[in-house]
Amino acid sequence: MKNRYLFAVILFLLAIVLPFVVTEFWVHVLTEILILALFAASFNMIFGYMGQLSFGHAAYYGVGAYTTGLLMVKANVPMLVCLPLSMFSAGLCAAVLGYFCVKLRGIYFAILTMAFGQLVYYIIFQWYSFTGGDNGLQGIVPPDFLGRAANPYYFFTLIVVTVGLIALWIISESPFGYTMRAIRDNAERTEFIGINVQRYMHLNFIIAAVFAGLAGALWGPFNRSVAPDLTNWQHSGMPVFMTVIGGPFSFLGPLFGSAIYTFLMALVTSFTEYWPLVSGVIIILVVLLMPGGLLGLLNEKFPSLMRKVTGAGETNGQGRQEL
Amino acid sequence: MDITSLFAQFLSGLTYGTILFLVAAGLSLIFGVMNILNFAHAALWLMGAYFSWTFWSLMQGNSFAFWLSIPLAGFAAAAVGWLIEVVLIKRIYKRELYEQLLITYSLALILSDTIKLTWGVTNKLVVRPEMIQKPVFIFGAPLDSYFLFVIAAGAVVATGLWWFLKYTRYGHIVKAAVFSREMVGALGIPIPRIFTWVFTLGIFLAGFAGGIQVPIGSVTLGMDTAIIIQAFCVVVIGGFGSLLGTLVGSLIVGEVMSFTILFWPEGAMVLIFIITAAILIVRPWGLFGTPMRT
Amino acid sequence: MSDTGANILEISRLSKSFGKYTVLTDVSYNLPKGEIAAIIGPNGAGKTTFFNLITGYHKVDGGTVRFQGREITDWPRHRIARAGISRAFQVSNIYPRLTTYENVRQAILAQQKRTLDIFTPANGLARQNTLELLELTGLLPNRDAVAGILSQGDKKKLELALALAGKPEMLLLDEPTAGMSSEETHETMELVKRLNAQIGLTILFTEHDISVIFGYARKLSVLYQGVLIAEGTPDEVRRNEEAQRCYLGEDI
Repeated sequence: MKNRYLFAVILFLLAIVLPFVVTEFWVHVLTEILILALFAASFNMIFGYMGQLSFGHAAYYGVGAYTTGLLMVKANVPMLVCLPLSMFSAGLCAAVLGYFCVKLRGIYFAILTMAFGQLVYYIIFQWYSFTGGDNGLQGIVPPDFLGRAANPYYFFTLIVVTVGLIALWIISESPFGYTMRAIRDNAERTEFIGINVQRYMHLNFIIAAVFAGLAGALWGPFNRSVAPDLTNWQHSGMPVFMTVIGGPFSFLGPLFGSAIYTFLMALVTSFTEYWPLVSGVIIILVVLLMPGGLLGLLNEKFPSLMRKVTGAGETNGQGRQEL
Repeated sequence: MDITSLFAQFLSGLTYGTILFLVAAGLSLIFGVMNILNFAHAALWLMGAYFSWTFWSLMQGNSFAFWLSIPLAGFAAAAVGWLIEVVLIKRIYKRELYEQLLITYSLALILSDTIKLTWGVTNKLVVRPEMIQKPVFIFGAPLDSYFLFVIAAGAVVATGLWWFLKYTRYGHIVKAAVFSREMVGALGIPIPRIFTWVFTLGIFLAGFAGGIQVPIGSVTLGMDTAIIIQAFCVVVIGGFGSLLGTLVGSLIVGEVMSFTILFWPEGAMVLIFIITAAILIVRPWGLFGTPMRT
Repeated sequence: MSDTGANILEISRLSKSFGKYTVLTDVSYNLPKGEIAAIIGPNGAGKTTFFNLITGYHKVDGGTVRFQGREITDWPRHRIARAGISRAFQVSNIYPRLTTYENVRQAILAQQKRTLDIFTPANGLARQNTLELLELTGLLPNRDAVAGILSQGDKKKLELALALAGKPEMLLLDEPTAGMSSEETHETMELVKRLNAQIGLTILFTEHDISVIFGYARKLSVLYQGVLIAEGTPDEVRRNEEAQRCYLGEDI
């Protein structure tokens, strides 16, 4: 039992120490890693646990970001109040859009989520008077008690993201979380044990959106601005990339994926503008050669070590065991 | 709003719809036969546009440069498409949905940057020959004379595809494959070879559409991201794997865009998405698609 | 007006077609509470479709299904399951990537209405009930195996366990002993018989194994090309001429 969470604790301690040994630039990168890790982990509730591919998850991320941005800039609402409000608005959005999405499965689910994602994008983009349209919103400044330096906001983000990830972990290990796995593995059977699959999928969709909204809410003050791009399909692709790179088969996969992806992006963009090219090649290589992502690869090479360290069982994701 | 302007709007929508049709036809065909959603389709369309500009620039002395560059663009794009299919797409036939989507999505990223590397960031313009520089008047409504060519080209391609699917042996195989790949394979027809040719054909259409697009305005980076989403909407509305569906879908999208811009410019795309979402909810296989394909 | 108190299941003129292919025509059937009944018929006779219509897997084209006096004809599947009808499938329909233990626990948690719980770790829940059910169905030694790699016979046992987890009033078993050894068959059917005797669980099953039918069924119906052609005790059906004709060449 102790071993199960040891790894997570080590990671947390590492996260506390790092900002003191790296430059401010990298503290910014670390903050971004954390925010996107929460975003990707929320995505994995739909993908890894429920077995559906949402290609429009950035819509809820963006709604969260804009809610916080708008409230802070236009109404001077304190950031701490904005965070739960962002979660609420993202959840509300998902309640409406998700109702329709869960009537579909597979490729049609993916396309509908993408279409809805684009719908949200266009609404934000075109509603110039309210959202600032193409220009986005500028001047979203973190509250005074966090100051202007990178470290305070980083630690604030660390706390919020850790709480968020713990919440997602608890949900994924609860009966509801196992019901999601059941729906993923055999939705039909799950109906026959008396579960209204569509309603459960809808709830999970909302939960995932709520935490994506929280991640988005953290992004605004971090970036000092928000733009409609946050909801476009390229942004929706990011959590998919991250989850696949890190490993869709366990809870920590998206976290590792975010670290790798964000780190690489920061590194590559500092000496070339062709990050799309590089990231495209990386993804293709990962999908073709490392279908389990980083964690999947490690699980294969060092199974006993991995089992001791992460405690994340094979049943937690789209397992690849030969049946 | 008088009749002439409305008619002009209609023709403009028809033209845009034709371009969409040419882009979406390949997308629909590829998905219908191979069950792969080609995210990179619009990037190849854009590449076709750039190819066309290059050919036109190279053939400056030739009086047919303008007209030749368009089909040549199609062939050039098709060559790239063939290479992509053989090297990459072949490996993902049996992969999971998310893997296929990620691969074509990454391909789109790679191709976009490749275009940037090859042709740079400046707009590319093609100069039209004399005869299509002035507008033509149909029932009093002015129409860019080039648009006539576009619509005609679209009609020719649509007819050609229809004839191919209905009357040739290969066309029958393709149609059958849309219904059931397994059956076609069981009949001893090599599926991988069909896939390669269908993919190549689909990309030819995209490249050709790119070539046609160039004289309408200019060619710039980023045009593909706008059109790929619209092409998806067309295919969803019309139905995957259905030629008629793609035709109808592209006309619907073209005209809805054209007319909505008149009274609600911001809302044009929003309306398209609402229609697309509605179709997905009520009839996911589209207006003319095959229900079995879920 | 029939005495609905005695019948747990009353089916009236059930019909179903798939496109031009008619599978069931005007099938009427009554099942007394506490009965062990079987339906037999050659492959394609419509037995599985019959079960599918009762459990809401397909929509009926015509006719009604009444369960415990209530009409359930157009109910959604999960509601029918909650009403007390459980089903074990012909082709095992289990959760291949979860362990046997997790499979059964999932069904039990669903029955306990605990599946909306997002706060409690699932690992500690329903241990007692899950282990009991695993033992009852003979799956205890396999409980940590990933269900996808179980043998055919064990998968069938898991099917049964999943169906029983719902604490049903009526159990529909679609070829419950297919793929089992004679020992496993005996075990399974004895269990079913015991449950029927001890808690009054109504059983309706389909089978191809004649010894199972004659060993356990008290009521037998014959379905042939979508029509019920004979009904009665197994002995009565055996003597029925029409049934014999349909099974021409087969030994009943």
